[in-house]
Amino acid sequence: MRRIFLGVFCLITFIVSAQDTLSTAYKKRVLEATEIDLLFSHYNQDGIHAAVSGGDGTEELTDVTSSLIVRMPLNEDDVLTVDVGISAYTSASSSDVNPLDGDPNRPVSSYIASSGASRSDVLTHLTPSYQHSSDDRNTIWGVKGYVSSEYDYFSVGFGGSYTRLFNEKNTEVSASAQVFLDTWNPQYPIELRGGFFDDRIMGNGTYSPVFEAFANENRNSYSLSLNFSQILGKRVQGSLFMDLVSQNGLLSTPFQRVYFGDRDDFYIDEFQLADDVERLPDTRVKVPLGGRLNVYVNDLFVVRSYYRFYSDDWGIASHTASLELPVKIGNAFTIYPMYRFYTQTAADYFFEKEVALSTFQFYTSDYDLSAFDAHQYGMGIRYKDIFTSTKVFNYGLKTLDLRLNQYDRSDGLSSFIVTFGASFVAD
Amino acid sequence: MTRFLLILFSAISLTSCVAVKEYDKVYLNDEEMQLAIKGMEQFEVNFQIYREAASGGNGGKTGGGCGCN
Repeated sequence: MRRIFLGVFCLITFIVSAQDTLSTAYKKRVLEATEIDLLFSHYNQDGIHAAVSGGDGTEELTDVTSSLIVRMPLNEDDVLTVDVGISAYTSASSSDVNPLDGDPNRPVSSYIASSGASRSDVLTHLTPSYQHSSDDRNTIWGVKGYVSSEYDYFSVGFGGSYTRLFNEKNTEVSASAQVFLDTWNPQYPIELRGGFFDDRIMGNGTYSPVFEAFANENRNSYSLSLNFSQILGKRVQGSLFMDLVSQNGLLSTPFQRVYFGDRDDFYIDEFQLADDVERLPDTRVKVPLGGRLNVYVNDLFVVRSYYRFYSDDWGIASHTASLELPVKIGNAFTIYPMYRFYTQTAADYFFEKEVALSTFQFYTSDYDLSAFDAHQYGMGIRYKDIFTSTKVFNYGLKTLDLRLNQYDRSDGLSSFIVTFGASFVAD
Repeated sequence: MTRFLLILFSAISLTSCVAVKEYDKVYLNDEEMQLAIKGMEQFEVNFQIYREAASGGNGGKTGGGCGCN
């Protein structure tokens, strides 16, 4: 009897082991080979409502960003992705933290960016992530990290996600959570720093702002995201999503000036000296929700649509709608015109220059928190090499993308962004 | 919020019986049909987060980073 049991046990073990080997041998890999994306962008903006000068000054900014994203299959089920990037920017906003450190022969003005050291900065980021898919590919979980650093701000984050597919992979439900623990190195306007003196100050009386530095220099963000995707037909699929984001800590930007209506005005040349910096609540809860609907109209056209409603407890409500219309030209090229509309109401704490009073608890003149509409329109073109015949070292070119977008805000801010991307796959 | 949950519930109820087979998903698997944002869009999403009060919603960072320039 013992021999029979032993024999049956060995047989079962062999069969299970053989099935495992077979299923492993024939399991399609989640990612067949290492892929590399090289991404570049050039962003340029200008406007007349710079937050650093209390809503009155140039918003000129130029940003050049490059990113390298590497996706590596670790085995049939697991993929490791590393996203590393560097962003170099020059902005009038940051230069006007200290408008006095530029060329002494030029007038000091919120409409003339100073050429001092504060005008440029570099942001670097690293985002590693790991994803595991179950044998039947119906369950996917992942973890993610995030680190970024710039002169006055350091951010570290982590998160996880869980996705489940049902109904012959026609239905997908996913949940993800992220935490960001950020730290400011506050840079206050030069005139509000201890020991400031300049004999060019003009105004009635003595310039003596009542200013208190922020005690808390941390900002924490917690987000929970839910997503439901559904195939609605052979050519139609859509998704619904909802996020819940909670932030606490220093949510004000320390160098954004505010000018009160009940205080005398003081100037150096044409530059008005701050009465205070913006003061915003130390908590904020945001709820964006919306959906996507994509339709494969025919072999020439695809319609990609998106809508989002957003609300937060600072009094802001917004609507975002976008439409992209990819047009396939042969097997290799796709062009995609796109349009995006955005509208928002103002935050309860937004005041134009000289409108807020020094007796208020919260105030800002950051026009990013004002009421406005924005239109973004652009065009993209993609080249797809289905045979990856163009080689760079041991990698074959998969796609080339170019996108151009113009963005116009009703308060006068205008920007243009060019993005270029190249994707390669290992032989 | 109630309206959103109603829409979500209706969507699940109405579509749970739809089951397009794998071999019929050729159009759905087209690269342009993906429901997430494309990698190339990330830069645009970043500047939108900086220049607008709203953030989050199917892609894009919902916290972290000051976006203060």
